[in-house]
Amino acid sequence: MGTGEYVAELPVARAIGRLLPVSFARALAWIAYAGALGVAVVLRVWNLDALGYNSDEAVYAGQAASIAGIPELTPFFPVFRAHPLLFQTLHSLGYLVWQSDLLGRLLASAFGLGTVALVFGIARRLYGVPTAALASLVIALMPYHVVVSRQVLLDGPTTFFATLTLYFVARYSLERRPALLYVAGGAMGLSVLSKETSILIVGGAYAFFTLSPELGARLRHLLVALGVMLAVISTYPIALRMAGHASTGGNYLAYQLFRRPNHGWLFYPETVTMAMGPLVLAAAGAGLWLLRGRSSWRETLLLCWIAVPAAFFQLYPVKGFQYLLPAAPAVAILAARTLACWRPARARVLGGRVPSRWLAPVAVVGVLLSLALPTWERIQPRSSTTFLAGAGGVPGGREVGRWIRTHVPQGAQMLAIGPSMANILQFYGHRRAYGLSVGTNPLRRNPAYDPLPNPDRAIRTNEVQYIVWDAFSAARTPFFAGKLLQYVRRYNGRAVRTESVASSTRTGAQVRRPLIIVYAVRP
Amino acid sequence: MIPPRLLAAIAAALGFGAAVGGPFHAHAAAAPNHPRTTTPIEHLVVVMQENHTYDNYFGTYPRGDGLPRGVCMPLDPDRKGGRCVRPFHIGDNGIVPRDLDHSRSTYLGQLNGGRMDGFVRALERRNQDGRLAMAHYDGRDLPYYWNLADEYVLFDRFFSSSGAGSFLNHFYWVAGAPARSGDRISPAGVRGIPTIFDRLEEAGISWKFYVQNYEPRLTYRTVDRFPPNRASQVIWVPLLNIPRFIDDPRLNRHIVDLHEYYRDAARGRLPAVAFIAPSGPSEHPPSSVVSGQAFVRTLINQLVASPHWRRSAFLLTYDDWGGWYDHVRPPRVDAHGYGFRVPALLVSPYARRGHVDSVVHDFTSILRFIEDNWRLKPLAQRDRRASSIATGLDFGQPPRPPTFTSAVRSAPAPDELRARTALVYVLYGGAILLTAGLAVSASRRGKGRGSAPLGRRT
Repeated sequence: MGTGEYVAELPVARAIGRLLPVSFARALAWIAYAGALGVAVVLRVWNLDALGYNSDEAVYAGQAASIAGIPELTPFFPVFRAHPLLFQTLHSLGYLVWQSDLLGRLLASAFGLGTVALVFGIARRLYGVPTAALASLVIALMPYHVVVSRQVLLDGPTTFFATLTLYFVARYSLERRPALLYVAGGAMGLSVLSKETSILIVGGAYAFFTLSPELGARLRHLLVALGVMLAVISTYPIALRMAGHASTGGNYLAYQLFRRPNHGWLFYPETVTMAMGPLVLAAAGAGLWLLRGRSSWRETLLLCWIAVPAAFFQLYPVKGFQYLLPAAPAVAILAARTLACWRPARARVLGGRVPSRWLAPVAVVGVLLSLALPTWERIQPRSSTTFLAGAGGVPGGREVGRWIRTHVPQGAQMLAIGPSMANILQFYGHRRAYGLSVGTNPLRRNPAYDPLPNPDRAIRTNEVQYIVWDAFSAARTPFFAGKLLQYVRRYNGRAVRTESVASSTRTGAQVRRPLIIVYAVRP
Repeated sequence: MIPPRLLAAIAAALGFGAAVGGPFHAHAAAAPNHPRTTTPIEHLVVVMQENHTYDNYFGTYPRGDGLPRGVCMPLDPDRKGGRCVRPFHIGDNGIVPRDLDHSRSTYLGQLNGGRMDGFVRALERRNQDGRLAMAHYDGRDLPYYWNLADEYVLFDRFFSSSGAGSFLNHFYWVAGAPARSGDRISPAGVRGIPTIFDRLEEAGISWKFYVQNYEPRLTYRTVDRFPPNRASQVIWVPLLNIPRFIDDPRLNRHIVDLHEYYRDAARGRLPAVAFIAPSGPSEHPPSSVVSGQAFVRTLINQLVASPHWRRSAFLLTYDDWGGWYDHVRPPRVDAHGYGFRVPALLVSPYARRGHVDSVVHDFTSILRFIEDNWRLKPLAQRDRRASSIATGLDFGQPPRPPTFTSAVRSAPAPDELRARTALVYVLYGGAILLTAGLAVSASRRGKGRGSAPLGRRT
């Protein structure tokens, strides 16, 4: 059965086809796809600049600024830090013409939008236009993808290139042209150049070709693709070596390998399940069982794309909210396949017999609504005093940073509770900031961060003149927050700037809670 | 969850912040009304540290009149061709800083009739290691002061007012004339000498003398009752030798502890003229130059961050040469002076950037500036004839923005940075082009051959 015939057999297509001419049904699917793109654009730019950068965004934007040679930021953000620089390099081109937070986020959103388009392209080739339209709607609305692709993070671009890789692997599997596999190798390389963790996708590709012998993939073609990928990836070590930072990547890798766990075993089940959408995951999983009779290498490919990184990060002690994003497109396609293809024989709803042809559209609407509502809620500006890394901008950070830039003398040095707020202060304030929680033991700290070996002495000798307390870090590390306030008390701290947020007490009274406080200190 | 105690502390701090008038950077508190000044400078802060020469601190600084090439100080100036000591970085040769004799007789011995070749021998005659006179510091030891010199004004013809020790020079600092008791505290006190603070008081211009670790009971009358190391307060605060500044509450209230300086600066209430005397971190050998720099940095930073910055000047200088070598023969202006050169730095938003000022100055040049700026009568011949420190200022330029000068001495390498970023563009751009080229190639081949039909769905 060719793709066209396969599409015509789809229950959704058949259902629509009974009501409408087939050509009109196809047009409807394309309209849905256009709608998905429109929704994707709206969700990825709505209120995009309402909050300032979070710590990671500040670092990547700071690196981009350093690459572009922005003198105010170059001293605080070394070009060569921890990750490869593909996204930062592209971002830096924007800095040459316009210095704005919005620009970086628009670039990230563009990668997100590109991923939505790629999901359509992949699903269309694997399952036809209706499934593709549904898949693109799912990824366009998925809170996980929306939230991450609205930020200046590396995970959006790496997901785009991983999805591009998936696209070319799928085409190779369909068309058997080795040139497509070589392009996949290049795209995989670009994904790694965006963020090195996507190298795990190579494991997924390996598993796929191993489990799908019927494709008859030639070892020679695979090796050439691997060579292309390595050639592209070699950019990273070559740039590091030629810039005299050969140990930078190694130091960071060593730190990541041996650092202490930052989240428990239930982190991904609890956070990513909700972010991808429980109904989407249920639909994807259910389809694998319910449509097992139609299983082919297509599902193997998508499963391998999901399972390898998911298994790795579930076992790996260091976890991050956005690490599993490259798997989201495959999840969306599998869920869309279920919604498009599954047609129960009969169903009992509200005590009566409901025609089965209505159940699929109802399920589609239900799943899409289950994505749209939390997504809409999550893209509204937050005023919370707690914060999950990778989940969005930081309230008050940009405002305090800009105040510092205009009110605190140049050359001032600051001490924050942790490196996250320190990064934000450096980016917006253009002043050196240290994190109190950054340890001096090189085995126990991120090598990208500079510790302040003796904060007490630094304040006594007036090398550090300001202390910045923030509610987000204080909630995470009460010990260091308490220690920081000890310094405030010991060294004549005076609050010179407070960012606060309105919130309700248990009794319902409206109060303003401090988010960030800047203290001037002196010996 | 934030612990309640933490929230309480934050709330207390917020309340405190409100109590002091919010951001100290804002011009919230009104400064006292001053008569108009002849320059934009409405606040002058002067700090006098202890016992170093220009060559001792800035002899190897890249600009200014530093150590002459090839200089070698004879052990015995009367023997031609004898052994000599070249300037060396302090700490080399296992020689550590110590308090060198800096009495009038040592000064004359080192001056050696104007030949400037008795620096080693004069100390040897005091049973001290004379080689130490030739030791000097550099940017490794004095990063902050050298950075200040890079950014502001370094005077390389700033002489101590008297070829003697602290007591006399401190009197020149406030009165433009020597105390009649000579270079020591007199049990009878010092009378009959007007000071700059008398002039300021008469004119109704605000002033304060800030004293670190101030002990109000310690004056020339009570100095014997305190441990010897506390006597420095009476020497470094000359007003505590003058009965009227001790007995008259209207005058005495202006002598206050240094913590008031920080408070006054933060609230925008610094007086027009502020003199500061240190305590421990005075840099008097063998005390640490590191702690001295930290002390001065704190004072300057407080001024820079204050609402006064745009209308202020800060002068740092040293009361006498401390026994160290300096190669410039001091001009003879009267029986007491000048003494050898001392380091002096002028920090102000109007200071010429990285300027080395070679106009001849001494401590009375500070008095001259005050007199000129606030239209006061001269105190004595010295300040009447002195050149003002205003030579280091350029009021034609807009005031410079407040900046904390770094305590680390390092030079950026912009060219190297540019080369690295160019490398990033080339390599990452190449990676993108390689992949794009493969995609274009695959697309063309695909068009040429057409998509391979699927025989059956696998």
